[in-house]
Amino acid sequence: MDADTLRALLPLIIISATPVAVMLVLAFYRSHALTVFLVLAGLALSFASLFPASGLLPRMAAGLLVLDHYSFFFMGLMFAATFAVALLSYGYLGRKDIFPDEYYILLLIAAAGSAVIVSSSHFASFFLGLELLSVPLYALISYPRANPRNVEAGIKYLILAGTSSAFLLFGMALVYAELGTMEFPRISTAALFPGTDRNFVLAGVAMIITGIGFKLALVPFHMWTPDVYEGAPAPVAAFVATVSKGAMFALLLRYFTIFDIRRYGSLMLLFTVISIASMFAGNLLALFQNNVKRLLAYSSIAHLGYLLVAFLASGVLAAAAVAFYLAAYFVSTLGAFGVISVLSGKERDADMIDDYMGLAWRSPWLAGIFAAMLLSLAGIPLTAGFIGKFFIAAAGVDSSLWALVIILVINSAIGLFYYLRVIAALYSRRPGALAASPKLPVLGGITLGALSVALLWLGVYPATMLEIIRNTISRFF
Amino acid sequence: MIFSVPMEEGLVLAWVLFVTGLVGVIVRRDIIFILMSIEIMLNAAGLAFVIAGARWAQPDGQVMFIFIMAMAAAEVSVGLALVLQLYYRRKTLDVDSASGMKG
Repeated sequence: MDADTLRALLPLIIISATPVAVMLVLAFYRSHALTVFLVLAGLALSFASLFPASGLLPRMAAGLLVLDHYSFFFMGLMFAATFAVALLSYGYLGRKDIFPDEYYILLLIAAAGSAVIVSSSHFASFFLGLELLSVPLYALISYPRANPRNVEAGIKYLILAGTSSAFLLFGMALVYAELGTMEFPRISTAALFPGTDRNFVLAGVAMIITGIGFKLALVPFHMWTPDVYEGAPAPVAAFVATVSKGAMFALLLRYFTIFDIRRYGSLMLLFTVISIASMFAGNLLALFQNNVKRLLAYSSIAHLGYLLVAFLASGVLAAAAVAFYLAAYFVSTLGAFGVISVLSGKERDADMIDDYMGLAWRSPWLAGIFAAMLLSLAGIPLTAGFIGKFFIAAAGVDSSLWALVIILVINSAIGLFYYLRVIAALYSRRPGALAASPKLPVLGGITLGALSVALLWLGVYPATMLEIIRNTISRFF
Repeated sequence: MIFSVPMEEGLVLAWVLFVTGLVGVIVRRDIIFILMSIEIMLNAAGLAFVIAGARWAQPDGQVMFIFIMAMAAAEVSVGLALVLQLYYRRKTLDVDSASGMKG
């Protein structure tokens, strides 16, 4: 490995070194503010190092990692999202009676895992990245361990993630047994050799998809989502909804585009069914929720269904649509969970719809931000979510997936119902369960303000983001 | 030929182990047994990797097996820590007791 490759690896090196540095500092001096400062500095440094390193792209590192503009775009997105989660966690954990410091180490390791996933080009690096992301998440979900709900959610996530890893690995082993290679780019060519048993490979790919489906919480592997979101601390739920799903989706998009899934009718059919089922199940089940975190969990299932529409469309336009939609979804989801975290108290999270009754009259800014985030998730014009959904529909139309586009539009209409239910609660005259007007933590307030600006900016003037996507994602295809 | 066990037989054995583990995860109610069943599934996948590596006479399969072992150990250590927490709170290892959230 030459010096240039090492320099291109700099973002990954910094994000992996930061948790070690934080751990060493913690051995000598414990201070919540200092820990958060180090974590934020490390994340900012990894983000900044993407720019000098991007001149050296694309290159392979040891056959395990592929460093190109595609992986750098998603790495940047993951680092930015983790930055927001860390900021939101500061106020959230400060109000609880727990040692907050190790939380950030786990968060950074998980972020490093997501960066490895988006740049992996080999089964081994994919698997390592996935576990680097999952194992810290078990601990993060059950971090406030005095609360039995957190431990319950952690155990549920552990059992399901362990099972899904086993599926993934067995599928990888089957593919390897038939094709003799574990590198993604070579798999797609090896699969076309005459004499390979296609059914064998497809069985392996189906098992890999099962494993990925669990991570992405696609129907029929979605059962864990609402429980984990409800039980997890609000910032961690935001992390699971954004970084962990986004990294997996970026990998899925890259390799199924190389694999050219349009050649395999059975895979197309499988993903079409999964997409439709996820949209309907997510939106219909969300209608009956009284818990905002569960509602967002079901809504995230539906959003992944929307993303699959663009994924099935495949092509340059679809990849740009996925990238934009993921960015918009990240901003809105982080914002929505961010409002929940700044309102959450010492004992429990502010997660019932009743808690939000009449919030607009006590704290108009916070209610306005929450409403904007929910409207963006619903896909209302002037917000980021609308532009994202528009691009997805455009990509679908471009590939003439008419049935899927129509189902997407129907589902957006269903989705509007439950988002509006929460917004109606925010602006209702009835006083809510949260009696006193909440005191907004400074860092949380700044984060939410920045996320709202990003939301409107992406929604009103998407050209900047599209330019970034054109220079990174579209170069790949 | 270095490798004498045919690949198909080896993969069938791995598959049987995998299904054993999966059934265990689904039907067992004791959390320790569920964790053990997950271990069986992971090791079945590891066995499949070793068999596949032997077919191509590459060390990659064994490398993956070592990765899997390390990851399974990390996972089970977090898992057992959570089991202890569950046991402190509920005085039982029955997973059905951990069903406070529904809907």
